[in-house]
Amino acid sequence: MNLSRIRVITRKEWLDMRKNKMVLGMMFLLPLVMVAMILGTAAAFRYAPEQVSDPLVPDGTPGLPPALAEMDTEDRTLALLNDQYMFYLLIIPVSLPVYIASYSIIGEKETRSLEPILATPISTSELLIGKILGAVLPAIVAAWVSYLLTAVGIYFLASRPVFLYLIRPIWTIGMLIHSPLFALISGAGGVIASSRVNDPRAAQQISALLLVPLIGASLLVLMGRVYLDTSTLLWVTPIIIALNAGILWLTVRIFQRETILTRWR
Amino acid sequence: MIRAKGLSKRFGDNLAVDDVSLEVRQGEVFGFLGPNGAGKTTTVRMLTTLVAPTGGTAWVNGHQIGSADAQVRASVGLLTEAPGLYPRLTAVENLGIYAELHGVEDVPGQVRRYLTLLELWDRRDEPVGGFSKGMQQKLAIARALLHEPPALFLDEPTAALDPEAARVVRDFVDELRGEGRTIFLCTHNLDEADRLCDRVAVIRQRLIRVDTPANLRHGLYGRSVRVRLAKMTPALEDIVAALPFVRSVTPLESGLRVALDEPETHNPDLVRALVAAGAAVQYLEEEAHSLEQVYFDLMAESREAAA
Repeated sequence: MNLSRIRVITRKEWLDMRKNKMVLGMMFLLPLVMVAMILGTAAAFRYAPEQVSDPLVPDGTPGLPPALAEMDTEDRTLALLNDQYMFYLLIIPVSLPVYIASYSIIGEKETRSLEPILATPISTSELLIGKILGAVLPAIVAAWVSYLLTAVGIYFLASRPVFLYLIRPIWTIGMLIHSPLFALISGAGGVIASSRVNDPRAAQQISALLLVPLIGASLLVLMGRVYLDTSTLLWVTPIIIALNAGILWLTVRIFQRETILTRWR
Repeated sequence: MIRAKGLSKRFGDNLAVDDVSLEVRQGEVFGFLGPNGAGKTTTVRMLTTLVAPTGGTAWVNGHQIGSADAQVRASVGLLTEAPGLYPRLTAVENLGIYAELHGVEDVPGQVRRYLTLLELWDRRDEPVGGFSKGMQQKLAIARALLHEPPALFLDEPTAALDPEAARVVRDFVDELRGEGRTIFLCTHNLDEADRLCDRVAVIRQRLIRVDTPANLRHGLYGRSVRVRLAKMTPALEDIVAALPFVRSVTPLESGLRVALDEPETHNPDLVRALVAAGAAVQYLEEEAHSLEQVYFDLMAESREAAA
């Protein structure tokens, strides 16, 4: 495995992405909307508290975590609302790479640049890892920057208990460790779709299906059917790493360079 | 330099290349001719390790395909049928990527060298999507040469180019010959093959013939000269036919077509015999058979044999 060749492919993907305004716009739009939703909610509670709706959870509601029980009703409502949005922030690095990666191989085929690139000493795994990283790393950076902006914004717009509740270890661990891992799965899924079908729309539709389990999981969390705490999050980490290794192996394994070169028209 | 032994490729029921054996010498420009679907591109893809053969093997620059694929790819340059450039990236960026993938030491220097050589330096920072077809093809050739490969595979380098751009590309290939590189040239353009190639192979799934263009012509038709006479008489035909070095004589409206093996040696004797017989020889020239004619006849022969 030659790391410099992987780096070249990743850089090429970024160069191409930087010059494609549509992709670049999409890259920034989703994180901006998420951050705006969270900070907008916090600003509304701070500057126009009379405009916001009734408290979601009144004082004295049984079963509340101590951090929430100790807040006043306004803070509690803000914390609960934004807690849901924080989950969406976590989803950014998962939803973006799949769309970018789903065009990675088809794009090469469309510009007929796959054959020249495969004629260099690059191996299939180097090419595909370079492409996955090209799709994943910008999404991770976008998510981390969004998280940082959110933390700074919440610090200034909300009370200290709300800040401590929202920027708690579970989200930070999730953002630093799990988001990148899920992003890799998402990127690899996109590359798999891109190397199995020869139509960009079909690849994007298949890739979108990859998001279904994730949306299902997020619904379970939001509905309170699954309770995520720090220890659960750490416990599932090795499983997600193993899943990553498996999907990377599968991505390389099912890349049929002969079929792509000779059958795709 | 390039040696193939029984190379075959089957896609399902379709036998694309059947038992091709050939040897291309170092520094040689080797033409690969054949109709669409004859297996030219598939052969190039096998020799550049892009597809695996289903039979036989080959060695490129001393590396065997199938067991040293990365070394084979590092030692060859490939110009594919379409330039396959990244349209949004500039000329420098396009070449830089490939130079780095090949591990070129001085990437900016080598990129500059080839962009200058192919007269693209002034357009280096423009996205290549806006380049003309000829410029894109030149850039693709530069890309194939960045790592200074000893062997170069060119798949239809002048197809889809206007005559002027095609000429620029042909002249450049001619220059490369002077550098001692081995060039494997797939082409439909028979005139191009005739002008550029030291030897040509004609393929239609199987290899039909491999030889120099001149030998192909002579092997198929022999050599002949056309003698133009001021006045043609039937007796002259008999006198010429009786000469020991003449293989056949065909009367023409204003002279004779004489088939012989060595015009350089026998033309003076032929002229002497005609003058002695009272003929007024106006001029004499060797008849040229085009490679195109050879190609079509070989194809017809191959079709008949297959039928």
